[in-house]
Amino acid sequence: MLTLVTGGSGSGKSAFAEDRILSFGEAKRIYIATMYPFDEESHKRIARHRAMRAGKGFETKECYTGLANIMLPEDCTVLLECMSNLTANEMFQQDGAHENTVEAIIRGVRHLCAQARHTVIVTNEIFSEAASYEGDTVLYQNYLGEINCRIAEMAEEVVEVVYGIPVYHKKKMTDHKGGAEK
Amino acid sequence: MEMIIGGAFQGKSTYAEKYYPEIRWSLGSSVSEDELYRAEGILGFHEFIRREMRAGKDVKGLAGKLIEKNPDVILVSDEVGYGVVPVDSFDRAYREAVGRICTELASFSTRVTRVVCGIGTVIKHA
Repeated sequence: MLTLVTGGSGSGKSAFAEDRILSFGEAKRIYIATMYPFDEESHKRIARHRAMRAGKGFETKECYTGLANIMLPEDCTVLLECMSNLTANEMFQQDGAHENTVEAIIRGVRHLCAQARHTVIVTNEIFSEAASYEGDTVLYQNYLGEINCRIAEMAEEVVEVVYGIPVYHKKKMTDHKGGAEK
Repeated sequence: MEMIIGGAFQGKSTYAEKYYPEIRWSLGSSVSEDELYRAEGILGFHEFIRREMRAGKDVKGLAGKLIEKNPDVILVSDEVGYGVVPVDSFDRAYREAVGRICTELASFSTRVTRVVCGIGTVIKHA
């Protein structure tokens, strides 16, 4: 099963995604970390997320580019965090997929789903604001928006976390837990 | 505690004033910290967070203090986390602080309503 978790910044997406993984029960839990530690702020952010995950039995695998090449143990549950970093890495890092970013990432997501029992992907809403951008930033919004739509199409569950409250945009009919029903 | 949230200019304050006609509202853009803890309702709560941070104050404990001192307050706040990560480091910190503080307050709140185009949807009712 594939779950897509989205939402704004600082809204509790990670905590929700971790809980979702734990709710799948005992399994080999893999955390795919995509944030490239390039400055003090990103180091702090990574440390905060590590502390949140501590004691939850995750094995961390770093993946900055090339998601389709990652090897996972059989029958595991996977939490990938987050798509917004992975997309930026693929677009702007030297060994990234650049103009083929969307296809490379979708191939990677299919590759995860083929190996894992449950996959949870955290992404970001970066599409509603007054400021307008140009060049690379617009292209980044365009790519991430398209990736989010494509993953949502493949997913059984799409959840927007609003200040810690799950709002389901897509969910399996058998599984009613909290949030605004759609 | 109750919260009314949503994007800017979505009619949150109008919704709040209509929904709670008896409440005396204070403004996040001008209220003092002491007044915040005594207020019945706050419009533009995010403005208070921004002012505190602009004044160099640490807002980490703000949600906890508000829950302790004013657990029945009604908060109206913008959601500010739905854009591209800001280039400016203050803007980044502010955007994240509003998210973290409101997430903590929403977890305590008995009701959270999200207003889009003037229409409120209750996303939490404990």
